[in-house]
Amino acid sequence: MIEKHAILPCNGLDKCAGVISREIAIQLCENADHELICPVLYRTAEAKYHKIAAGYPLLVIDGCPTRCASKLAADKNLKISKKITVTEIAKSHHVEINSRLKLGENEHALIELILNELNHTDQKVESSSLVTKVLYDFKYATVQNGKFLFRVPTNPEIYFNENDCWAYVVGNRARIGVTDFVQQNLSDILYFTPPEPGAAIDQFGEVGEIESSKSVFEIISPVSGKVISINESLIEKPELINENPYEAGWIAELELTDFKSDQELLIGFDKYFEIMKKKLEDLNA
Amino acid sequence: MSETTFMGVERDKIDWKPVIDYTKCDYCLECTKFCPHQVFEVRESEELRLIVLNPNNCVVFCRACSKLCGPDALSFPDKNATTQRIKEIRKEENND
Repeated sequence: MIEKHAILPCNGLDKCAGVISREIAIQLCENADHELICPVLYRTAEAKYHKIAAGYPLLVIDGCPTRCASKLAADKNLKISKKITVTEIAKSHHVEINSRLKLGENEHALIELILNELNHTDQKVESSSLVTKVLYDFKYATVQNGKFLFRVPTNPEIYFNENDCWAYVVGNRARIGVTDFVQQNLSDILYFTPPEPGAAIDQFGEVGEIESSKSVFEIISPVSGKVISINESLIEKPELINENPYEAGWIAELELTDFKSDQELLIGFDKYFEIMKKKLEDLNA
Repeated sequence: MSETTFMGVERDKIDWKPVIDYTKCDYCLECTKFCPHQVFEVRESEELRLIVLNPNNCVVFCRACSKLCGPDALSFPDKNATTQRIKEIRKEENND
């Protein structure tokens, strides 16, 4: 994180993870030229932070999955540039966080680890850039539900799971994304967490997350494979998923590992279109 | 919404539902506010104020409620084991 950021931490006193968020924010600002936003004061004296929030890319530090800081950013219509959740990082590094508020040895080690990861973020994003040169051509069927239009690609090379995710398979590669059903239900998508480049993903494993002010959606991969590319434009513009989740809003590309076996649990356009229409009927009921 | 099948397998043959760890749950009820499938039920007057009432309404492989759970009180079965079990059931049913 070389570039100057506005930092909005959780700052919560409900859990130790909140205290850790606050400490990370303080240390980031003490060691580099960043601007801190106090979430409590921001609720009551919004004008104080207008300039900072509008002037710099925003780093949101949530303590736990309640996502108070993310929700505050959404309420204030702030665009999130980067976001972390302390409990998730703790879990991925098998660090047990104190049940009391006081920071102990584990918590200080976790803070150091997170600061280290944040300071190497810029480098990491660059290394994930792999471009594939496949021409993806989509043909759609549509269904209207109220004022919303739902598209589903009809191409025979596109497979779906019942979790509203698609895979466009070309040779031994697949491009992955979510369907219109997901993006319409989430409404305005505010943040995209990409999968790790190079990560091995199981069929029905998580291949990133997208988040709106309403909810978090775990992208459930229709196929197994290795992540060879992510759609980096979504990091700056997650709203591309709302505009078109099949074309500019694709999520990642995978090198397939066992597509023959994966196919057993995949469906084509005809079946998915019927399932999606049934889901829409259920939503209207 | 109650789904009767998932990938052609009867839903009640698939073990996929949230399990509540009552030692962690702080009854914030974010899960019930979020889940559109009425998987949970709140029982204000009982000791366990939150229960999994409709496990078969839970969308197989969806873990969104656990992602929103501040105290990390919700867990789900292993995805790979569930995938394998679905494949086995499909095979068994095709052989019948």
